[in-house]
Amino acid sequence: MRARILDFVQTLRAEGVDVSVAETMDAARAVAAAGVEREVLRESLAACLVKNEDDRPLFDRLFDAAFPLVGAAREAGKRRKRVAGGDGAATRASGQGTAAGRGSLREEPGDIPRRARRREMPRDASEARRGRVARRLALIRLPFREFTARDVQEARDVVRELGRGLRARLARRERQARRGRLDFRRTIRSSLAMGGVPARPRFRARRPGRPDLVVLCDLSGSVAAASELLLGLIAPAAGWFRRSHLFAYVDRLCAVSIEDGHVAPEGVLDLHARSDFGRVLDELWHTHRDVLTRSTLLLVLGDARNNRRPPRAELLRAVGDRVERLVWIVPEPRARWDTGDSVLSRYAPACDAVFECVDLSALVAAVRQTL
Amino acid sequence: MDVTREQVRDGLRAARYITNARVETAVFLALVLEKPLLAEGPAGAGKTELAKVLAEMLQTDLVRLQCYEGLDEARALFEWNYQKQLLRIQADRAEGRGWDEVSHHIFSREFLLERPLSRAITAPRTVVLLIDEVDKADPEFEAFLLEVLSDFQVSVPELGTIRAQQRPVVVLTSNRTRELSEALVRRCLHLFVDFPGPDTEAEIVALKVPELDERLRVQVARFVAGLRKLDLRKAPSIAETLDWARGLCALGVHELDAATVRQTLALIVKHEEDLRKAESKVSTLLAAAARS
Repeated sequence: MRARILDFVQTLRAEGVDVSVAETMDAARAVAAAGVEREVLRESLAACLVKNEDDRPLFDRLFDAAFPLVGAAREAGKRRKRVAGGDGAATRASGQGTAAGRGSLREEPGDIPRRARRREMPRDASEARRGRVARRLALIRLPFREFTARDVQEARDVVRELGRGLRARLARRERQARRGRLDFRRTIRSSLAMGGVPARPRFRARRPGRPDLVVLCDLSGSVAAASELLLGLIAPAAGWFRRSHLFAYVDRLCAVSIEDGHVAPEGVLDLHARSDFGRVLDELWHTHRDVLTRSTLLLVLGDARNNRRPPRAELLRAVGDRVERLVWIVPEPRARWDTGDSVLSRYAPACDAVFECVDLSALVAAVRQTL
Repeated sequence: MDVTREQVRDGLRAARYITNARVETAVFLALVLEKPLLAEGPAGAGKTELAKVLAEMLQTDLVRLQCYEGLDEARALFEWNYQKQLLRIQADRAEGRGWDEVSHHIFSREFLLERPLSRAITAPRTVVLLIDEVDKADPEFEAFLLEVLSDFQVSVPELGTIRAQQRPVVVLTSNRTRELSEALVRRCLHLFVDFPGPDTEAEIVALKVPELDERLRVQVARFVAGLRKLDLRKAPSIAETLDWARGLCALGVHELDAATVRQTLALIVKHEEDLRKAESKVSTLLAAAARS
C-alpha cells in the first residue's frame, strides 16, 4: 500500500499538484488509521493531499485511475475510457492505468487554464518556478498592443494577485492613519490603573472618510486588454471604497462588474460601435451625475480617439470640477497622443493627472500612485 | 486520540449533525492523526457548526478565536497583565524588596493573561479550538498560528515555551476571501464543506424543525437547492433554510405556492438584487421542486 501511495503522490506531482513530503507522510498515516475501503481511502488521501478545492476534480480522476474498483474493473475501465477518449489500454493494472490516465488528461482540451499551463511546464519543480517568475516578469513589461488572447488570460491571474495586494495596502494605510494625536485626558485616566505610570499612551481616534471610486474604461478593440486588466486590478480593492461604480464604454456607458477576473456588463454594450467619449460624457453628466461627489476619485482609461466626433471637453471640465480627483490613464505611448483622431490634449487640462501606461507595470504603478 | 470511524459517525449523528462520508473521514483523521482540520466552503454551509458539534461529541469545551482584520498576538496568543505587574512592583517596594527578587517573579504565569490560543494549549484536558474565519485575519497573523498548530506550543520570550498538556482538537474555517499561506495549509488536513444536497437538507430540516410536515419539508429543501444554483450574490445558508421552515410553520402553511413563497422569500434571500432575481424565478423553481 505504501508503494501505491507513493506512486499516486508522484502522479499528482506530475500533474502539477504540489504535495510536500510531510503531506505524503500524513497520507500514509491516514491510510493506516482509516483503512483501505475505497471511498474512505479516497477521502483520506484527499484530506491530506489536496489543499485546494480546484484540484479536486483532477484528484478524483487520478484516484479512479490509480485505484480502480476491484471486481468491477470493466466498469471502471469504461469510465476511464470516456475520459481517455477510447484509450483501450486503460483497463490494465494500476501502474499502467495511471500512465494512461495521465496521457489522456494531457490531450483533454478545455481544462482549467492554470492547469493547462502548469502541465506544459518542465517537470523539475524549481525549474518550473523559475520559468513562471521569468514569464511573469516578461508579461508585466509586455506592451498592451502586443497582447495575445493567451497573454490576457495569464495577465488576469497576475492582476488578481496584485489587486489583492492593493487592497491590503489600502487597509494598512488606513490603519496607520487612524492613529491620531495623543489623547492626554485618556492617557492620564488609564495610567491610574497602573499606579500613575502612563505605560500605555492613548490616542485620539481619527476616522478618515473613505473616498468614492468611479472607473470609466474604454472597451473598444484597441484598448480593451488594458481596460480589462485595469478593472481586474481594481475590482478586489473596490470593496474598500465607500461606494464604487465600475463603468465600461464604447459609445455608450454601461455598468459592469468583475466576475472571476472577467468583465461582466450589466446592460447592453456594443463592442463594435465606434468610440464616442463625448456622448459617454454626456450620458455620465446627465444620467449618472449622482455618482460624482466631492469625495469621488474618477479614473478614466481610454485613448481619447473619438472618431472625429465632438469631444465635449467642457463636460469633462465640469465633471473634473465636481469630483475630488480626475485621473486619466492612456494605454498608448506618449508619441502617439494627439495623432490622428486622438483629442487627448482637449481632455488633459481637465484632469488632475494623466498617466502613460503602455504595459502592466506602468498600469500598476499608476494605480498605486492614484489610490 | 483513540476513536473509530463508526464512533465518529455515530457521535456526529448523536450531536444532531447530519453530514456525509467526506466530513466523517476528515474529522476522524483529524482526531486520530491529531492534526488541525481546515474547513473551507461557502458561508453558511455548517463549518463553524462542525466545531461546536465536535466539542459536544467529545464532551469538552469549545475555545473560540474569531479572526478579524488587525487581530494581533496580544489578542490571540497571550499578553502580560501590566496592571497587576505594576501593583506587584509597588507592593514589593513598600516591603523593601530588591529588584532581583521582584524581577524574578513578575514574569511568571500568574501575570500572564490568557487568550484563546494559550487557553486551548494550557487547558488541563483536551478542548476543541475553533479558529473561525482565518482568511479575515492579516497574513502576518498566520505566522503566529504556525507554531501553535504544528507543535502545539506557545513561546513566551520571558518565560520559555509552554507546551500543551493535552493536544487540543483544532478546527480552522475559511471562506476563501483570500488564499491562505502554503505553510499554514500544509500543516492542516483539508476539508471542503459544501451545501448539502436536497435530500440531506430535508433530513436536517426534519431534525431541527420536526413540526414541518414531510411533503413541505422536501419541497422546501428542493426549492432552496434550486435557489442556490441561481447566480446569487449570497446563496441561502442552512440556517436560513431552517428559519424559512420555522417561518412557514408559524404561518401555518400547508402548501408551498408562488404567493406564499413571494411573501416569505425575504427570510432566505437578503440582498435586494438577489430578491428580484429570485422572485422572477419562483414559479420555475416551484415546478422543479414539485417534480420528483
